[in-house]
Amino acid sequence: MKCYICKEQGMDTDAVAICIVCGMGVCMDHLVREEIELWEGGYPFPAKKLKKTIPRILCTICHDAMEG
Amino acid sequence: MSDLMKRSLAELVGTFILVFFGPGAAAITLMIAKGAAKPNEFNIGIGALGGLGDWLGIGLAFAFAITASIYALGRISGCHINPAVTIALWATKRFPTSEVLPYILAQLIGAALGSFAFAAVAGIDAVTVGGLGATAPFPGISYAQATLAEFIGTFLLMFVIMGIAVDSKAPQQFAGLIIGLTVAGIIITIGNISGSSLNPARTFGPYLGDSLIGGINLWNFFPIYVVGPIAGAVFAAFLYDYLTK
Repeated sequence: MKCYICKEQGMDTDAVAICIVCGMGVCMDHLVREEIELWEGGYPFPAKKLKKTIPRILCTICHDAMEG
Repeated sequence: MSDLMKRSLAELVGTFILVFFGPGAAAITLMIAKGAAKPNEFNIGIGALGGLGDWLGIGLAFAFAITASIYALGRISGCHINPAVTIALWATKRFPTSEVLPYILAQLIGAALGSFAFAAVAGIDAVTVGGLGATAPFPGISYAQATLAEFIGTFLLMFVIMGIAVDSKAPQQFAGLIIGLTVAGIIITIGNISGSSLNPARTFGPYLGDSLIGGINLWNFFPIYVVGPIAGAVFAAFLYDYLTK
């Protein structure tokens, strides 16, 4: 799979990840990998933050959109 | 502030809201009905104006307060706001032993503050006429009957909590609304029997306020509202586990 964003720019770069939101294949230059805190539980128990975070990969376009 | 302190503070706030608005509505009903003709000796004032509708109003005040508290505080402390619920969750090994006492203390303090705050805003009639919404067996109802009514009422409350909130298969987004309305339904039926406390803290707050501010001393009835609710909640939790395993 090739990087969709690079392809739009006339380049031919191998994709290394897929955006979890739009499904686009992206290269290292067009992805954002973040560690996301995960909470579980709730009423009638206190919600607890899990000890480990989970990684989330977005393309730069979706990341910018979600950041507002 | 430690995590447990924050959660205990959330329990205090939740129980404050419950006791200010729930028993507060009962006290206001008695204050409004003061001087109204009582249709029979079973009627102490709640019901003199609108019959069972008076209890519907009081029940809905509890429902809205509980629903608001659960949605606001549920993810912080679990929003038990009821020692019977805390003990039932502990008895079924869902709540740590070390946190039971802090939670119950916070609930009792929140309930007391709720009653004192209500007396402060509604005036001395809230104590002398409204009794701060304290619960007691109604005329003709024995100690044992009131205890049994509290047992059955709290059994239903805890059974619903188990089914819609504790059980991970349930649609939990509705928990706050359903549990609030369940309390309203229970109050409509057994309100004029035992007062429908379902919660030792809910009775503790008005009792303490009444005895300190000049109201009637009802402490001899307190065991009804400790034994009945706790036994009912624990029985419901164990029965739910038995039925679902």
